[in-house]
Parts: sequence; structure tokens; C-alpha cells
Amino acid sequence: MITVLLVDDEKLIQRSLEKTLLRAGFDVFTASDCTTGKEVFSRNANSIDIAVLDLNMPGFDGNPKNDAGFDLLDELKKQKSNLPVIILTAYDEVSKAKDAVSKGANAFFVKGREQGLVELVQKILGK
Amino acid sequence: MSNIRKLPQVLYIEDSDESRSLVRRLLAEKYIVLEASNPLDGLQLAEETQPNLILLDHNLPHMTGSEAATRLKQMLPNTPIVIVSADTSPGARERALAAGAVGFISKPIDDDFETLVTDYLNGKVEKLAHAEKYLQAYQQELVERLEGNIRQLTSALEKNKHLLSQNERMFSMLDRRHKLLQTAARVGQMVTSILDLNDLLKHTVNIICSEFNFYYSGIFLLSDDRQFAELRAGYALAGRKMLEAKYRLPVDEQSMIGKSILTQIPQIASDAEHEQSRFKNPFLPDTKSEMALPLIVDSVPLGALTVQSNQINAFSEDDITSLQAMSEQVAIAINNAQLMKKLESANSELLRTKTYEAIATATGEAIHWVGNKAAPIPGSINRVREDIKYLLALFASMDESGLENESLKEAVRNVREEAQNQGLDLKSILEEMSELKSNRLQALLSVESLMEDLTIAENSANTILEIKEGLIGPARQRSDASISLEMMITTTVENMGLPDGAVEMGWEKDLPLVHGDVRQLEQVFNNLIKNAWEALTNANVTNPKITIAGCRDNDPYYVLVIVKDNGPGIPKEIQEKIWVSFFTTKGGKGGTGLGLSAVMQIVNQHGGKIWLESENGNGATFYVRLPIER
Repeated sequence: MITVLLVDDEKLIQRSLEKTLLRAGFDVFTASDCTTGKEVFSRNANSIDIAVLDLNMPGFDGNPKNDAGFDLLDELKKQKSNLPVIILTAYDEVSKAKDAVSKGANAFFVKGREQGLVELVQKILGK
Repeated sequence: MSNIRKLPQVLYIEDSDESRSLVRRLLAEKYIVLEASNPLDGLQLAEETQPNLILLDHNLPHMTGSEAATRLKQMLPNTPIVIVSADTSPGARERALAAGAVGFISKPIDDDFETLVTDYLNGKVEKLAHAEKYLQAYQQELVERLEGNIRQLTSALEKNKHLLSQNERMFSMLDRRHKLLQTAARVGQMVTSILDLNDLLKHTVNIICSEFNFYYSGIFLLSDDRQFAELRAGYALAGRKMLEAKYRLPVDEQSMIGKSILTQIPQIASDAEHEQSRFKNPFLPDTKSEMALPLIVDSVPLGALTVQSNQINAFSEDDITSLQAMSEQVAIAINNAQLMKKLESANSELLRTKTYEAIATATGEAIHWVGNKAAPIPGSINRVREDIKYLLALFASMDESGLENESLKEAVRNVREEAQNQGLDLKSILEEMSELKSNRLQALLSVESLMEDLTIAENSANTILEIKEGLIGPARQRSDASISLEMMITTTVENMGLPDGAVEMGWEKDLPLVHGDVRQLEQVFNNLIKNAWEALTNANVTNPKITIAGCRDNDPYYVLVIVKDNGPGIPKEIQEKIWVSFFTTKGGKGGTGLGLSAVMQIVNQHGGKIWLESENGNGATFYVRLPIER
């Protein structure tokens, strides 16, 4: 069983992605900002296989922040350096994708075709 | 004391004060002495007083005693006239008698003077032998004097004429100087008000030529590399031709313009053909005198002004002075115009950059926003499609024979058939389903999940549609009316259903009405109050409070509404961004990010202004300034 941590501040996106992932047979933990994302991960660090993090969402200070997903990525990697991470974004930005990879993310996913995320998770986890 | 009225009157015409006081003393006992210090006054006094006797000095200003005697004789033929003279030349006495005098008393006068006077008064008349001879001599003398007078008059006349022409010249000089100064002042005044460089230069050369009457004037400005003086304005046809030819001169000693810029000293060629430093200009072959005035501001040369005349020595000192004064003003004006131009271009560049930035930000935010809102739609629809597939598979497998109603049976058969036509292999889907574990199957066939997905898709689509209001709201046709902000905002607050005591209001008495669209202005304050309340709730402020105050602005034509909260405030780094469309701090909790941008647009359209003051930790204060109704 694959367990996914999904962090996104857009409620509808979060729920829809959660359902898609559940339907694909994954277990899903959700959070809406960096702080709760980190808490949820800390509590379930052993079971979480992969993190899917939104890029723009409230940061650790609670204020909306561009690239807040990168901050959370850094924090999660501190706890589990080999944790696979997928960065979510609303639109395609080549420079952001490069940034994401250089920060240790495994992939950069543009929201929309949710089935694509399922395939991406499976590919990264080699299953 | 004798009766003064009865004393005989003696008129004494004499220019010497001493003689007059002596005679006065000698005669005062028996006569009333009337005095005149020159013959013209004497003639007038004689006519007015009709004296009994006239004593006349011979050597008088303006006319001789003899001449005066002749005139007096004509005027008062019965009054005896006696000449009193120091003239001892032969014939003096005779000439006096010939002129009409009854006697001649030699100066200095003696003690017998009074007796002599009395004798003449009593009728003594001295006889003149050979009267004709003396009369002739006297007439000859008169003619000569007359000629002398005419000569004097003629020369005086000529002198007058000369003076007159000199005056005229002075006047015309003064007039020209006045005009030049006026022109210089006018040019100065005008040029400093023209900030468009080309306009300024064109006006200046036109005025110099028309007001100072020179046939050509031009203005050169230094090229960017300061190696050349480039013609930027030139008068009339020659000027136009030179401008078309991109006429320019190197900044060196070869031309007057170049030299004036190089040395910062005006160059004047009164006889241009013989001036060495004058560059012969084929466009201006008639130039006879020429002046090049450097245009300098703060000891930095900007260029030079050329003034040319088709006459030799055309520049008077006045011309030079006023043209120099004018060139100083023109230089300042050019400098101002150049600074203005630089400022404008810097400004417009800044504006361009800012605009691009704003557009890029807004576009980025818009794409991001739409992307986020639309993202769940395909996912939920996919799931719904899947759910329907499973439901159809179940449905189709049911035995319709149990249904009593024929049309219901018919409907089930129809669905089965249609699904097949749609390419759905319901049988194999059902087989697939039978292999799933029970809990997994229940998850797939959840009506709740189906409904939720429909809601997700619906809400996403609605949010996107709602943005229309935010975008179009401010642009909607305004229907303006007089608005009491106090009443309007009070109603707005009541309708928002905030907890009691959350909003405190204070209104200045008799606050003027504003003019505007109620719906739009309601939207403004609704947004501000809603934002404030959300900020307070999100930050879990213990005693959340929104304070609304309305008062007159410092500017009497405006009112000011202040909306203040005691929340966490708005961080400095996003204070600019909050006004940008699609920027939102609300994350998933709703909000199109159009609120404040629409608010600002509405306030601006009403001729007002909105701004924010906020320091982290000290709440946020929005100021809305709206024009009062007039």
C-alpha cells in the first residue's frame, strides 16, 4: 500500500486529488499549509512514501507565500532525506521545474490531469 | 508826509540793482518810483501804470535803451522819456534824442538828478540840431541790430532744429531700447513657460527676427559627444533648408558659433566679410554683420545663438546687451526643457516598467488563479464518469422482468442497448467489479462520493464564473445619486451579519453627502469590512474590532472614511500587491483576488482615492476619500 502526503491550500483541489489518489488505491494524508503539512508528516513519517506539495500556499508564518512548497520540501527532507517529493503548480513554469529538481524534488506536476499524478507516483515509487 | 496818491509816478527801467536803489533813494521824496529790471517788463509796466515820466537805462538786456525808447514813444506818445546812460561815446546823446527821448542824463548821476528829473517832468525838451542826420544814423543802427537779431534767430532756429533731431534720435533710441527690453522680457517670460524644446527654439528665433528686425537667427545645440554644434532651429527659408541639410559646425575656432561655445564669449562681427573667424555660410550669402552668443547654464555651454543682419554694423550696444540678456534666459529655458525631457523619458520608462510588471504580475496571478480553480473539474468529472460506468454495469445486470411497468422494462433495455452503442462493455466491467474486495467496491459505488464530485465540479465552475462580477462590476453603468455615507455604511454593516459590537462607528456631525453609485460604493465598504473581519478571524484576535469613522477631509471638497481593524496588519512586502487583480491572501478559503483591485477601481472612478496604512502587528487602516456632492 502506497501512502501519500498531499499538501494544498485550495480545498477543492485537495479533495479532488485526494479522491483520485484514494481511488487509485493509495492511502492519503492531507494538509492545507506548511505548518500542518510538517506536523502531519512528523506524526506519520514512517508510513508516508511520497509527498505531493503545492508550490504557492501559506508558509510557516501563515501568510501566503510564493514557493512555500520549497520551504516545506526542505523541512521534510531534513526529517527524511530520501523522501520522494512531487511539486504541484497551477501552471507550467520551466524555471520553477528546474528549481524544484535542484531542491531535491523528483518531479514537477501541473495540476489538471489528475490521473497523470497517479501514474507519476507509481513511476517514482517503481510500482 | 505828502499824499502819496498825488505824487507823480516815475518808471525807471534799469538792469543794475545798485543804480535802481540809488535812483529810488534820490527820488523817493517827491515821486513814486516804479522799477523794471529789463525792457520787456518795463514796457508792460509802462502800459499798465501810464507813468508821468520814464527813465531808461541805455545798456539793457534784449534791446538797447534807444529801441525801448522808440517803442515807449509809440505806446505813450505824451510821456516824456529820458535816457540815463554811462555811454560817453560821441553821438550817444544825439542817438537817444533821435530815438524819441526828451533828454539824456549821463551816469554817474549827481545830486542834481532830482532837479533834472523835475525839469523833464515839467516839460523840458532838449533840442537836437541836425535831427535828420541822427535819425538816419539811428535807423541805420536799428537795421543793423535787426539784422543781428535775425542772424541770431536763424542760428537759434538751426540750433533748435539740430536739438530737435537729436531729441528725435534719442527718443527713437529710447523707444528701441524699450522695445528690446520688452522683447527680451517677453521672450524670457515665454520661453521659460515652454517646456517643449523644439517649440521653444522655434519661437525664440522667430521672435528675435521679427522683433529685432534681423534677417536671420538660428540656435545650435551641442551634440551628445559635444564635438559639434548642431542647428536645431533656424529662421525662415534659409533656416528650413539648413535644418533639412542637418547643418552643423565643429566646436573649434573656425566658426563664430564654434568659437563662442569654445571660449564661452560672445563673438561679434560688425563687418562680416572681413572677419577672420567667420565661416562663410552658403545658405546665408547676404550676411554683413553677425553675432554668436554662447548659451551657458552654470558655466556649462549648451550651444549658441546666431543673429545675422544684411547690414554692416547692425548691432547697437543696446542690441548686444538685450540679446545677451535674452540668450541667458533662453539658455536657462533650454536647460529646463532638456531636464524636463529627461525627466519625462525617465518617468515614462519607469511607468512602462511598472506597467509591464503590473501586467505580468496580474497575468501570472490570473493564470495561476484560473489554473487552480479549474484544476479539480476534469478530475471530478472523470470520477463521475467512472462511477456512472460502474452503476450502469450494475444496473444493466439487473433482471428487469420483475418490473411491472412495461415502460420501465423498456427503459432498462434501452440503457443496456445505448451503453453498448457507446462502446461500454458492461459485462466485462461487471466482471472486473466482482473481483474487487468488498470495501474497495463500496468506495467506488458511493453515492456520496458521486454527489461530492458533482459539487466539486460545480463549485469550481461557479467560482470561475463569479470572477466575472469582480471584473465587470466597476465597469458597470453607474447610476449616481446623493448618498449619505453614514446611512449607507450603517445598512451595509447591518446586512453583513457580523457579531454585535464587532463594528464601531463614529460620524462627524452634518457630514456632506457624496455623489456616486450606491451599489458600487456599497461594494467598496462591504469588501473593506469583509476583508478586515476575515483578517481578524484568521488571526484569532481575542477582541476583534473594526472601527469606521467618517469626517471631512482637509480638502473641503472631500470626505474621508477610515476603516480600521485591530488585526495583525498587512506585511510591508505585500502592501503594494493587494491592489493587484488576482492577488489573494485567502488561499483556499475563497476570494477571487479581485476585491481590492475592484474597490480601488470604483473609488478612482468616483474621483476619490483609497490608500492603506499598516504596520505589522498594529492592524490595517484603509482610507477612502470621496468627493462631496456639489
